[in-house]
Amino acid sequence: MSLAAEVVEPRSGERARRLSGTARALGIAGVALLGVVVLAALGASVLAQHPPERIVAAPFLRPSGQHWLGTDDIGRDLFAQLVHGARVSLSVGLGAAVLALGAGTAVALVAGYRGGWWDMVLMRLVDLTLTLPLLVLVLVLTAFLGRGLAVSTVLIASVLWARPARLLRSQVLKVRRFGHVVAAEAMGASALRVSLTHVLARLVPLLSSQLVRAATVAVVVQAGIAFLGLGDPDRVSWGTMLFFANASNAVLTEAWKWWVLPPGLALAALVLGLALAGYAVEEWAEPRLARNAPHRSRRRRRPVEEPRPQAAGTALEIRSLRVRFGGTRPVEAVGGVDLTVRRGRILGLAGESGSGKSTLALAVMGLVPEAGRITEGEIMFGGRDLRRIGRANQARVRGRELALVPQSAMNALNPVRTVLAQVEEAARLTCPPAEARRRAGDLLERVGIDPRRHEAFPHHFSGGMRQRVLIAMALANEPRLIIADEPVTGLDVVNQVVVMELLESLVGELDLDLVVISHELPLLARWADDLAIMYAGRVVERGPVERLVREPRHPYTRLLFSSFPDLEGPRGQVGTVPGEPPDPARLPAGCAFEPRCPCALPRCATERPELDGAEGTCSAACWLAGDVSVRTLFVDPAGVADGDPG
Amino acid sequence: MRPGRRRLRAIGQYVVVVAGAVVLNFALPRLAPGSPVDYLVPPQAGTISAEERVELLERYGLDEPLPQQFLTYVGGLVQGDLGVSVRDGRPVADVITERIGWSLLLVGGAVAASAALGTALGFVAAWRRGRAGDVAALIAVLVVDALPAFFVGLLLLLVFSVRLDLFPLYGALPAVGVGGLQLVVEVGRRLVLPLATLTLTGLASIFVVARSALLSELDEDYVFMARAKGLDERAVRGHAQRNALIPISTATFLGFSTLVGAATVVETVFSYPGLGTLAFQSVLSRDYPMLQAVFLVLALVAIAANLVNDLIYPRLDPRVRAS
Repeated sequence: MSLAAEVVEPRSGERARRLSGTARALGIAGVALLGVVVLAALGASVLAQHPPERIVAAPFLRPSGQHWLGTDDIGRDLFAQLVHGARVSLSVGLGAAVLALGAGTAVALVAGYRGGWWDMVLMRLVDLTLTLPLLVLVLVLTAFLGRGLAVSTVLIASVLWARPARLLRSQVLKVRRFGHVVAAEAMGASALRVSLTHVLARLVPLLSSQLVRAATVAVVVQAGIAFLGLGDPDRVSWGTMLFFANASNAVLTEAWKWWVLPPGLALAALVLGLALAGYAVEEWAEPRLARNAPHRSRRRRRPVEEPRPQAAGTALEIRSLRVRFGGTRPVEAVGGVDLTVRRGRILGLAGESGSGKSTLALAVMGLVPEAGRITEGEIMFGGRDLRRIGRANQARVRGRELALVPQSAMNALNPVRTVLAQVEEAARLTCPPAEARRRAGDLLERVGIDPRRHEAFPHHFSGGMRQRVLIAMALANEPRLIIADEPVTGLDVVNQVVVMELLESLVGELDLDLVVISHELPLLARWADDLAIMYAGRVVERGPVERLVREPRHPYTRLLFSSFPDLEGPRGQVGTVPGEPPDPARLPAGCAFEPRCPCALPRCATERPELDGAEGTCSAACWLAGDVSVRTLFVDPAGVADGDPG
Repeated sequence: MRPGRRRLRAIGQYVVVVAGAVVLNFALPRLAPGSPVDYLVPPQAGTISAEERVELLERYGLDEPLPQQFLTYVGGLVQGDLGVSVRDGRPVADVITERIGWSLLLVGGAVAASAALGTALGFVAAWRRGRAGDVAALIAVLVVDALPAFFVGLLLLLVFSVRLDLFPLYGALPAVGVGGLQLVVEVGRRLVLPLATLTLTGLASIFVVARSALLSELDEDYVFMARAKGLDERAVRGHAQRNALIPISTATFLGFSTLVGAATVVETVFSYPGLGTLAFQSVLSRDYPMLQAVFLVLALVAIAANLVNDLIYPRLDPRVRAS
């Protein structure tokens, strides 16, 4: 999952099939255009006073009351041809699309279910059909096999089935792996019934978008071959009209206005209508596409008053920071956080996913995604408030003074550049090119990457190795503070230790300060000097690590510690606190942990507790934190889950 | 799969596709209604007698069993024998050789131009996703794409040749003999309108691919990381765009096939002396051997574009490079 996506969309699963404003507007415009063409087709016999295929007047007549668009080179009525042409285009488009989709679906089901040779042969046939130039293929087929409207429709379909077949086949293979289909097959439902009920239902979105697309191509191809003189001689279509117009050099005379323009525009209207409707259908079929329009944040206003100077001995001082995401479900991801990184000490920031710890890191880096913004607070670093220095200067702080080791090392490196090039690119921000290259090589070696592999691409490295490359990258410009966001998540235990040891040794060697963000409290307890626990966008407890481990005061911290296995203790559920984290869009009025808290008081539901101690001391945001007698109530972790705190 | 086997498999796929095109070409006149001889008689000859029919059958070997015919046909192809035009009796291969250069010039130019333009527009739209510029570009491209190629050609011809008299009406070469730089200029002038038409035809598909490719790259972690490591916006774009080029390159080469088809109608509008106009003339004069040969050659061009794509892909994406 993408780093930014997790922060922007805490509950992405809830996205329904809803169209964006643009898609809806385009879809309506498309349906309107289609409506005009359909009306012309339906009312053709009423609208046109003359039969389209018969000679009714002298050739090359100008438009008149009798012949609204004049006549063609042999004296047929052009207006009649225009409205009747709508019938030809619509019937070929729809007919060919339905046939192609039917054939494509059949092929996809056979290939997807039979597999083996069936799949092989059918897919080679798909390859062949897709490779050959479509229009030329239809042209040759038509020349040999006939140019009547029905034959044409079948021939066009015989070329168009391949694309939907390929797309539907991969969809069939995917759908077959879904749980309910597997279950239905295992329960003995016949293969055919499974296909029809479960798989086809899942294919509907793709089928509908492919149907519109196939119809569009069919209309264009039919017009193309008619323009090349292979239209049905008995059914004049728009392409045929343009064929005769071109043959009679209509563009050289005044006649282009009534002979070239109307059929051309009619074709364009139909194709555009289909394309616009198709755009809306495609977005409906694949809601992922709708994410194109981000919430536009208002211009950031810089705070006016001068901030209080940064406290001595601190590397980073965050004061009452708030980050809000807009959109349909406004979320305050960080809700007033005070946090200090003391010089020479490693700060561990813990919390469940969605607790706002990554957003906090992004806010410090000046990288809050477009949909969100910092609404309040100060970020004091290097003696100034990073929020007040402007976007350009913020970018200059990144990488040079403040570096990030990101979450999900697997994808954080550009797959098409060598690791050396990527570290070198970072180093170039502060070094001349030759120096940057040497420095990049040294750093990679320092983090334990064999010089022979410096020119390798990221996919040649394991997750642990990539994480080291990212650490080297973070060090490239000798920053003063590094924020490592879940630096070892996804690594095996051995690599976790190696990477953490590497980070720790670098802190000592290079006189860096370090923030480590993780959801694994034991890891932080082992490596950090100070700890801060985040819950629902706020720091609920913080203090020196020894004190916090020995005597956690917030019930959440306590549960977090007890939820990890103790080598000597009883075996329980690992790594989870009972209950669900709160919906960030609807935080309770009181303490956010109250619904899950085993020892909540009535007061906890209505009043929000604040951190009770000064910076640098142990402090917790809990009404019970000061009450030693209550604290002892849930000292036994086994009794917590089902025990009655009252 | 080992690289050697993968290469073998890829070659196998190309053999299948080429063989398919050849078989189709062989089968068409034999599947078509009537006798294959009907497709070898010039229309101006009118009806032919029974003796003439038998004589033709023998001359073209159409009285032999089908497998024998197929072998003869393939043997001819291998030697570059594509048959004889029924219109003027010239070897089809000679006519094709004369014309293919113009088609390659036109289609190649249009593929390059539409790729460059479509990529640039798609990238701009992606960087402004959801804003006015993006929506405007999208609608403009959809509209241009909806206009049939021959209609665009006719309009351009009308405006720029007939009304403004900026470019010649038809052809690829000036009538009177000119040489040197003058010739290049004249050829260029005649190329402009068909090239523009065909470029507009290919634009939309590249635009759509470029836009969505860049959009999906922008969501990738490495782009975020590029920004986080302190790169300026230009360098960040460079990272994302370099990766977006991978699907764009594929779309460009596969789009060759579409533009080869569209070139048929565009050449016809401008009477450009390429294979497309040849196909059109063959349809009108019922010159079936010529039409078949044009189809086969254009199919081979499209297949070759696929092959080039397969060869270039590993250069763009180190992940599929054989290690």
